[in-house]
Amino acid sequence: MPDWVEPVVRYILEDGLPGTLRVSAIAVAGSALIGIVFGTLMTIRFLPLQALIRFYIEVFRGLPILVTVFIVYFGLPSAAPRLEFGPLTAASIALVLWGSAQVAEATRGAVQSIPREQHEAASALGFGWVGRHGFVVMPQALRRLLPPFVSLLVNIVQNSTLAQVIGGLEILEAGERQNERLTAVPPIGLGEIHAFEIFAGVAVLFFLISFPLTRLAAYLERRLV
Amino acid sequence: MLLATYDLWAFVSDNREELLDGVLNTLKVSGFAIVGAFFIGAVLGAARAHRIPVVSQLTAVYVEVIRNTPILVQIFMIFYALPQFGIVFDQFTVAWLSVMIWGGAFNSENFRAGFQAVSYRYREAGYALGFSPLSTFLNVTLPIGGRIALPSSINTYISVLKNTSLMYVIGYAELTTTSLNISNLTLQTTESLTVLAAVYLVLVWTLSALIRLLESRLALPETR
Repeated sequence: MPDWVEPVVRYILEDGLPGTLRVSAIAVAGSALIGIVFGTLMTIRFLPLQALIRFYIEVFRGLPILVTVFIVYFGLPSAAPRLEFGPLTAASIALVLWGSAQVAEATRGAVQSIPREQHEAASALGFGWVGRHGFVVMPQALRRLLPPFVSLLVNIVQNSTLAQVIGGLEILEAGERQNERLTAVPPIGLGEIHAFEIFAGVAVLFFLISFPLTRLAAYLERRLV
Repeated sequence: MLLATYDLWAFVSDNREELLDGVLNTLKVSGFAIVGAFFIGAVLGAARAHRIPVVSQLTAVYVEVIRNTPILVQIFMIFYALPQFGIVFDQFTVAWLSVMIWGGAFNSENFRAGFQAVSYRYREAGYALGFSPLSTFLNVTLPIGGRIALPSSINTYISVLKNTSLMYVIGYAELTTTSLNISNLTLQTTESLTVLAAVYLVLVWTLSALIRLLESRLALPETR
C-alpha cells in the first residue's frame, strides 16, 4: 500500500468518524424525543395545537436540510448574537428540526393506527390520558415506529455530511481536508491527486454503516407489520 | 456604525434579477433530473420487476449503492474524483447528472413496487389478445403500475428538487448558491435566508398540493 494511505485513513477514522457519530447521536436522540412528544400531542383534538405542530412538520419537512443548516448556522446568530453555534452543533440542531418533523408525522400515524377499543378499554380500567398513552397506546405504537425509526437513523447518518458544507469536521470533511493536503505542492503535500481513492473510501465507510441498517429496517418491516 | 435593519421588500427588489435567475436554474436542473429519473426508474424498475437477468442484478447493486451513501459524497465523486481520470463536467452537468442518478435509483424502486403490484392476470390477458411482451408492458403494466407508483415517485421528484440545493458545494448558481452569495455581498443574511426558505416552501408545497390533485385524478378506479 502506498505511503500516503495510512495517515489519510487514520485522520478519517480518528478525527472524522467521531464527528459523524456525535452529530448522528445528538440528532437521533433529539429527533426521537421531540418527534414522539409532538406526534402524540397531534392526536389530541385541539385545533390551535394541531395547526401549530402541522406547520412545524410541513416547514421542516419542506425545506431542504441544507437550507435549515444555513438558517441555524448563519441566520440565528445574525438575528440574536447569543445563538451562535459551531458547525457540528449547528448541523445537529438542523437535523433535529428535520428529524423531529419526520418522527412526529410517523408517531401521529402510529398512534392513530391503534384501534379505538384499546383507548376505551384503558379508560374503562380507570387510566387517565397520561396513563392510557403511557401504558397502553404508546407501547403498541412504538413497535410500529421501529422500522421507520431505523430508516431515519440511516438518513441522519448520511445527512450528517451536510456539516461538511459549513466546515464541520466529520468523515467527508476529513476526507476533503486530506485530499487538499495531498494535492498541495511538496513541502506540505505530495502534489498528487488521490480524490477518487479518498472519496470512494468515504463512500465505502458510509456504505458499511448504512447497509446493515437498511437491511435491519427491511427485516423489521417484515416482522412487525 | 451601520445598523442592520430588516427590510425584506427592498432586498427582493434590489436583487430580483439574480434571485429570479437562481429560481430558474433550480427549476431547470430539477426538470432535467426529474425527466431523466422518470425514464431510469421506468426502465430499470421494469427490469427488476420482470427479473431480466444481469440488468436486474446490476440495478439492485446501483440502487443499494446510491441508497446507502450520502448524496453529498456522490456529488464529490462526480465533481472532484472523476476529473482524476480526465472526465470533467461543467457545473450544470454535474448538477443535473448527480440528482438524476440519485433520483433514478429511488425511482426504480418505486416503479418496481408499482409494476409488481400489477396482477399477472392482466398481463396474461394482454398475451391472450396477441400483444407482444413489449407492447403488453407499454399498454398494460406501465399505465397501471405507473399509476400505483405515482405517489411515491412524485415524492422522489420533490426530494430531487430539494437536493438541488446541494449544488451550493460545487458553486452552481441555483437558488441556494445565489441567495448565499447575495447574503455575503450585502450582509443581509436574515433577508436572504427568509427569501431562500420561502421560495423552497412555495415550490415544495405547490408540488405536494399538485400530487394530491393528480392522485385523485389518476387514481385507479377501485381505489378512488
